[in-house]
Amino acid sequence: MMHGLTNARPRKLARGLVVLSVAATSLALVGCDDHGGDPTKQIGANPVLPSLQQYLVPPIRIAKAVGWGDETPTVPQGLQVQALATGLEHPRSLYVLPNGDVLVIESNGPKAPIFRPKDIITGWVQWFAGAKAKDANRITLIRNGNGDGVPELRTVFLDHLNSPFGVALVGHDLYVANTDAIVRYPYQDGQTSITAPGTKLTDLPGGPIDHHWTKALLASPDGSKLYVGVGSNSNIGENGIGAEYERAAIWEVDRASGAHRIFASGMRNPTGLQWEPETGKLWAIANERDEIGPDLVPDYLTSVQDGGFYGWPYSYYGQHLDPRIVPQRPDLVATAIAPDYALSSHVAPLGVAMYTGTELPANYRGGAFVSEHGSWNRTPLNGYKVVFVPFSGGKPSGPAQDVVTGFLDANNHARGRPVGLAMDRSGALLIADDVGNTVWRVSSARPDSPPKPGS
Amino acid sequence: MNHAVIAETTFNTSLTSIGRPPRGPIHKVLVSFSAAYFTGAFVTDLAYWHVPDVLWERFSIWLITAGLIMAGLAAIAFVFDVASDRLIDEPAWPRAVGYAIAVLLSLANAFVHSRDGYTAVVPLGLTLSALVVIVLLLTAWVGMALANRHRVGG
Repeated sequence: MMHGLTNARPRKLARGLVVLSVAATSLALVGCDDHGGDPTKQIGANPVLPSLQQYLVPPIRIAKAVGWGDETPTVPQGLQVQALATGLEHPRSLYVLPNGDVLVIESNGPKAPIFRPKDIITGWVQWFAGAKAKDANRITLIRNGNGDGVPELRTVFLDHLNSPFGVALVGHDLYVANTDAIVRYPYQDGQTSITAPGTKLTDLPGGPIDHHWTKALLASPDGSKLYVGVGSNSNIGENGIGAEYERAAIWEVDRASGAHRIFASGMRNPTGLQWEPETGKLWAIANERDEIGPDLVPDYLTSVQDGGFYGWPYSYYGQHLDPRIVPQRPDLVATAIAPDYALSSHVAPLGVAMYTGTELPANYRGGAFVSEHGSWNRTPLNGYKVVFVPFSGGKPSGPAQDVVTGFLDANNHARGRPVGLAMDRSGALLIADDVGNTVWRVSSARPDSPPKPGS
Repeated sequence: MNHAVIAETTFNTSLTSIGRPPRGPIHKVLVSFSAAYFTGAFVTDLAYWHVPDVLWERFSIWLITAGLIMAGLAAIAFVFDVASDRLIDEPAWPRAVGYAIAVLLSLANAFVHSRDGYTAVVPLGLTLSALVVIVLLLTAWVGMALANRHRVGG
């Protein structure tokens, strides 16, 4: 009797398990078959916002970092691109001093804590995408006095910093925004290295989590105030609302006293700040939330209103509620401002430069260059380029145009990823590339220009 | 799991007939551990539902992860038990199927609990945690009932 039973058993069991595994697999696949739409529908003042979706398995679509080899980025006709400096260590942002010297901030975030098993997976993903480079914690100075794009000098300008990102010079005071504090250093014109100890102006929200660690910095035109972009401490509040104290905001810091107030809030990760030259208004780029769809939520470029609330974490693009945050705040959501200009979803804008020079052709005069570091959780990939948003009357006046591309190769591997932007003294556009470890210089093409290095 | 179960039946019949003395199975202990972890996750989910403090959600996802690791070890131990002719509670298949359902639900639950924010738990995560506990209880009950019948009938 026992033997009769056991013979029937394996088939039944096998069948049951096959059914179960098919069910489980199809459940998992629901999360994977999910392609993003046309990004151009999400560029401009009125992006198309699909309905929100939640995944079982969130998509991870990363571009493997492969480096440039002999290649260079691609620019449209009329422009040329050359490497101003190569072999850097994870250059994240750029600052041009009045004498034309270029500061390259070589930096990476502090080690992320592991709160959940997911954080371990995220670590692997970032390593694969080339984002786990050692934190050099230093600023390198590059001097190109004659403006030909071939540097005469390269020195370590400032060392032993703490995940620095923003830099601002006011008179002879050089401010460096480390991830946890703004530090002031004395700077004399033409100085190529600072060894004097810094003086702390104010603490900034740093560890122990420090999810969005970059602190963008911009001085007011009169030099009395410093504006600081402070990113959120999570994607969408998953580290608790207490961890978000004075984060996801733009701080206004009084330069004399170090006192600060929240100038604007509800911006998930404001990574770049600029003054719009025509109106004198503050503009920012910001990275919006993840994991609610390939086309949610579009990252943006916006003017920043004093006291304005931009939604995070409770809502996005005005009053679109995010169910992942409880308790909700209808009082705040009612006041949420929709940003001015969407850049499309998951492009990760990490650098912005209002163009005020004359070096580039006329169609680039009056507008903002925005570097899109590129998506890691969207299919197909989005971003991985530098775009130009034309402005007129102090406002964006048309669709974003691709300017610097070729960061992805034919296999969708990343040769580089654009981060910080700056305009050099001659008016050329500088691009920090934290995967290619290069600073690229984009200028007008000239017939007598020197050949590209390496070609 | 598939392999483990198929292996069980082959080995079980062939080896028991040789007539080695039966010993206690190892996998049972590991199964108990994972069941306790999954049940713990249900409790911390209830706590999160009551007071949405992220700490409860973190407890839940680690408990589910630990439960899944234990389930993986239990599967290995099951193969070992069968291969080394240890006594398997009879009948094995209702327990195996019930447990497999609980583990697959927990796997889905681990993904849901890896979401960010409130919807990592409420409503789907909490529902899955509750379902897992129900499936485990039913499995235990059915297993015991059938074992008794076996004993009485055999």
